[in-house]
Amino acid sequence: MSWRRYVRRAAWDAERAAEIDAHLAHHVDDLVARGLPPDEARRVALRTFGRVDAVREEIYEMNSLPILETLWRDLRFAVRLMRKAPGFTTATVLTLAVGIGANTAIFSVVDALLLRPLPYPQPDRLAVVSTTFRSPRGEDTRTSQDGRTWELVRDHATVLEAAAYSDWVTGVNAVAHDRATYVQQQRVGAGFFRVLGVAPLVGREFRPEEDMPDGPPVAVLSYAFWAHVFDADPSVVGRSLLLRGEAYTVVGVMPKGFLSTAPADVWTPLRASTRGEGGGTNYGIAVRLKPGVTWAQANAEMAAIGHTRAAEYRNASNVTITFGLEPMQEGLSSDVRTPLLLLWGAVGLVLLIVCANVAGLMLARAGRRTREVATRMALGSGRAAVVRQLLVESAVLALAGAAVGVGLGYAALRGLLWLAADYGIWQPIAIDARVLAVTLGVALATSVLFGLAPALTASRLDVTAALTQTTTRGATGRAAHWPRRLLVAGEVAIGVLLVVSSALLVRTFVNLRSLNPGIDPRGVVTATFSMQDRRYATSAAMNQFFDASLERIRRLPGVEAAGVVLGLPYTRLLNLGFKYVGQADDGQYKITNLCYVTPGYFAALKQPIVRGRAITAADRAGTLPVAVVSEEFVRMYFKDRDPLGSRIALEGGEREIVGVAGNTEQRFSGVGQFAPLKPTAVIYIPARQTSDQFLALVHTWFEPSFAVRSATPAAETVADLRRAVRETDPLLPIAAVNDLNELQNAALAPQRFLMTLITTLGAIAAFLAIVGIHGLVAGAVVERTRELGIRLALGATVAQAVRAVALPGVGLAFAGVAVGSGLAVWTGRVLRAFLWGVSATDPQTVVTVGAGLLLVAAAASIAPALRVLRLDPAQTLRHE
Amino acid sequence: MCGMPRRRARSTTQPDLLQGTLDMLVLQTLQLGPAHGYTIAQSIARRSDEVLQVEQGSLYPALHRLEDERLIASFWGTSENNRRARYYRLTPAGKRRLGEETTRWAQLVRAIGQVLRPVED
Repeated sequence: MSWRRYVRRAAWDAERAAEIDAHLAHHVDDLVARGLPPDEARRVALRTFGRVDAVREEIYEMNSLPILETLWRDLRFAVRLMRKAPGFTTATVLTLAVGIGANTAIFSVVDALLLRPLPYPQPDRLAVVSTTFRSPRGEDTRTSQDGRTWELVRDHATVLEAAAYSDWVTGVNAVAHDRATYVQQQRVGAGFFRVLGVAPLVGREFRPEEDMPDGPPVAVLSYAFWAHVFDADPSVVGRSLLLRGEAYTVVGVMPKGFLSTAPADVWTPLRASTRGEGGGTNYGIAVRLKPGVTWAQANAEMAAIGHTRAAEYRNASNVTITFGLEPMQEGLSSDVRTPLLLLWGAVGLVLLIVCANVAGLMLARAGRRTREVATRMALGSGRAAVVRQLLVESAVLALAGAAVGVGLGYAALRGLLWLAADYGIWQPIAIDARVLAVTLGVALATSVLFGLAPALTASRLDVTAALTQTTTRGATGRAAHWPRRLLVAGEVAIGVLLVVSSALLVRTFVNLRSLNPGIDPRGVVTATFSMQDRRYATSAAMNQFFDASLERIRRLPGVEAAGVVLGLPYTRLLNLGFKYVGQADDGQYKITNLCYVTPGYFAALKQPIVRGRAITAADRAGTLPVAVVSEEFVRMYFKDRDPLGSRIALEGGEREIVGVAGNTEQRFSGVGQFAPLKPTAVIYIPARQTSDQFLALVHTWFEPSFAVRSATPAAETVADLRRAVRETDPLLPIAAVNDLNELQNAALAPQRFLMTLITTLGAIAAFLAIVGIHGLVAGAVVERTRELGIRLALGATVAQAVRAVALPGVGLAFAGVAVGSGLAVWTGRVLRAFLWGVSATDPQTVVTVGAGLLLVAAAASIAPALRVLRLDPAQTLRHE
Repeated sequence: MCGMPRRRARSTTQPDLLQGTLDMLVLQTLQLGPAHGYTIAQSIARRSDEVLQVEQGSLYPALHRLEDERLIASFWGTSENNRRARYYRLTPAGKRRLGEETTRWAQLVRAIGQVLRPVED
């Protein structure tokens, strides 16, 4: 006997029938043996047995599962009720759908980026090397490493397989089959793919000798690039591919769907060393624990390797340094972790409000259903049965909400991914079976959350009192109001918390948007291109191209000014050290930002030269090396001294400051700057006064752009610009065309992302809280009609009656706002990292939001209370 | 996913006293060895001196319930008449239950006997 009999009832019945037939046959055999004729024997046997059908039915019934059958009955009843109250059902299902949909969308992102294992074999054995710097001023952990650290790990790690890689994916020009395309190139060290645990589909990955400085130029392709450019030809290994004008030999192709640590089309050897970019922290180090090695062993080995480095650092400064490992997933998701967790918390809060709201609706309805429930209990239904029935109703509502919610979530996710386009998401995100399963769980959990309180209230009903009441109104006692009131106050509190958070993020965004751009963005288009091209390996070749193309561009109709810059406004700039020359020299390199520009650039952007002169065509190789600096640079490094004529030393020589330009807004560059955008200290040098080595280094990471100011519409300017560049060099593709507003938007994308989402959630929360208050007061008016009628008949003024009904709503709103403001101040520090120009506990914001919500809540309380005005005492008393 | 289903009240055609009795009679019959439904019915009728005039059909729900409680187990076999029949046998749990029930019954009978004993002067 097993549970299977419940599913196989028909088969069981057939077997029982056979058994009964056998019984009768045996009896007939016996009777025939005693001499009865067969017909008579059968009659006797059947009479002795009793009713065959009744016996079979009894056994059939025994095989039914009472819980399932009552559940089915409850379900049908719930659906019938939902159909009978379409207004209530629609309101509840939609409210739930909003809450569940928002949770589904955010969870799908959280799941893909933070929870789901990385798409590599044994992802729990993967890590990135981290270094922690401790100084008296604080502590900082980074996962970007320099060449020295990489060599230490490479030479001394025994329990780990390690490979260096660069997360800095650059767009480069690729030419194959005489077709120029712009592709994303990532540079990775030998063994990188082995560490990740993914073997190439075709060919092999880089060998150590290819990963040395001056090693042979080889490349590994992504599946998509291979299919697109080489038509998935398996004989691609050994073929040649021009990357930035240099011939690379293809050695392998990665499998379909392979994702690196950054989106890339082609991989080339990193060639990590301690020189060039290896002098700074520009590498990531991926490691895989060897089989059988524990994390403790691995960390211990890293710590031991770090001792060497620590000794070197201690000699130089006051900083102690330790090496460690960070699980790879955390290392990769460190940028998005906090915002995502914030959002997750916020949607969780919205879901709580949704539950509270629906619970309020259910409680109100439970009040109206008192008689029905009392009748059922009087007829012998147990409390458990009543609770179960009400919970099934909640579950049905929640599931309907979840069904609509998944649809909403799908739409929300598309919007979310559109917003997050600039976030550099490296994992595919979708609503899949896993997310759906979680949604289902959330729906069922919410049904208990919002269904339990009403169900328990209903089951505590005093049956006699409920049935002997002549009216359905006023049947619920005073105590029955409290659960609902608490829910509403809680909703308001959470609403205040979310709205305060949104307000702070909006103020941050407005602050950042309204920064003085320092330039005139109207009428300017920019076109970015890669100079990682062997043909432009020398400063002379590059400047020749700049001159030739700019000459063509300047002749285009409508063009007022044009120039080239390495590092547009609103983008991140190249960090470079400089030191004072002469008396002021303290031997210290100060990290600042550097751009090269051609003549005409400042004019194209209308970036003012506030002192001295701009860079001109006269500043060329061989003439006095000059620099123009930004006002912020002067403020930071020259204070009250006059910078003009001063000399500064940069890598590659001394320069004289000949001009001061107005400030521009640049993106966070990692050097003592924590605002997403701010006026930045910049040194501008002439493009003509750059060395070949300097260009080779900076073009690995940064791409120059044309900036063109034109009177013609942007679309025409772009077409003309593209043609002019093509005419100058047909093999140089334009990577991206932007106007400056787009660049500003891109720079503020993380802020916009968080602001938009939290503001949406805040609006939903506030709306639901207000709906909750409105519903509470409106319900009270209906319930207390009779009582209010008596009061009015006995001489109470209308104002007194309105006050009696509306006051609880206002009071609850006040309590909710008080608690919510406290919560907002208390949790403000969570937001601090995302705010700029406004304090996380900004009293003005908190007070404004609190007062605003209080006003709206008061209006939401008084509006329904005014229905008292329409009460006719005489009619009310005669009613029923 | 499902535990033991909660038993619904037995059909009202069968007095409760008889239910326990019938169960016990079945178990006792099977103590002698495996038997199919018809044999069990005959044996019960014989052993109770035809006092318990139950319809033979009511035996089957009882058998089903006992099997459900794992006091007896069943298998298909061939009868002495060369017919296919479903045989039942006592499980160890059934044996234990029979012992307990017999003791309880004996106690009950003794108790009732004491109550009904005529008052001695």
